[in-house]
Amino acid sequence: MSAEKVKQDYTNIEKERIFEKEFLPHISSMFNFAYRLTFDEDDAKDLVQDTYLKAFRFLNSFQQGTNAKAWLFRILKNSFINDFRKKSKQPPKVDYQEVETFYNSDNVDVSMTTDLRVETVQHMIGDEVSNALNALAVDFRTVIILCDLEGFTYEEMSKILDIPIGTVRSRLHRARNLLKDKLRTYAKSMGYNK
Amino acid sequence: MATNLFIWIKQNLFGQITCQRCLELLELITDGEASPEEERQFRKHIDDCLPCLETYNLEKSIKEMLRNKLEKKQVPEDLILSIKEKIRNTA
Repeated sequence: MSAEKVKQDYTNIEKERIFEKEFLPHISSMFNFAYRLTFDEDDAKDLVQDTYLKAFRFLNSFQQGTNAKAWLFRILKNSFINDFRKKSKQPPKVDYQEVETFYNSDNVDVSMTTDLRVETVQHMIGDEVSNALNALAVDFRTVIILCDLEGFTYEEMSKILDIPIGTVRSRLHRARNLLKDKLRTYAKSMGYNK
Repeated sequence: MATNLFIWIKQNLFGQITCQRCLELLELITDGEASPEEERQFRKHIDDCLPCLETYNLEKSIKEMLRNKLEKKQVPEDLILSIKEKIRNTA
């Protein structure tokens, strides 16, 4: 995404081609990401539309052959934070002072995972998984979506989210522990862990 | 004799990572971000350590569950058309 600093000068035909061949193929991932941020189909549509319009408007900042999907996700994430979240009734941002200092590589919390079993996880159905993920604060949900659902690398996530790789790792670690807590609570309430 | 002992210590004491190091590497491994050397050390450790192997299998299964079980929303049919139309109007 350092390519953003280099302005291109595409013809209208080139712009159309890039838009069709490099941007539009990601619309399903974009829509699903937007839906998991907003929990509303109409809002997700607006967010994706807004993202694609911005991407077209700033197409000269995109360099062909670089990662279009990461570039689009970055625009969508920024649109969500700057435009959408202000208008919506989303809960306030999590205080990272507390949560990100939680992660300490000298103190890996083995005990937190001990009562959740592989078989329990394998028996869970889509709705249960979805509820657990959706219960996480948006910034934690985001890193799990980017890493586990969309398969972005730490470096790509760092660029999409504008945070250092170390913070990507710590946020991901914390997000996964929180997700495991939700899954564990759910498993217990369903009597899975007997 | 002394050389043999040195090799034995190097291989058996220093070649094996601790459980704590193994758990630090765990997410790098499941996310495909570990170096080949880290991967080798990790595999060597879980070959002999059941608790770490179980933790690894749990992390892997959660990642697979997220990828495979979450419902994918269909993109609304009119979305692409609407985007294209807006672009045409602003061009």
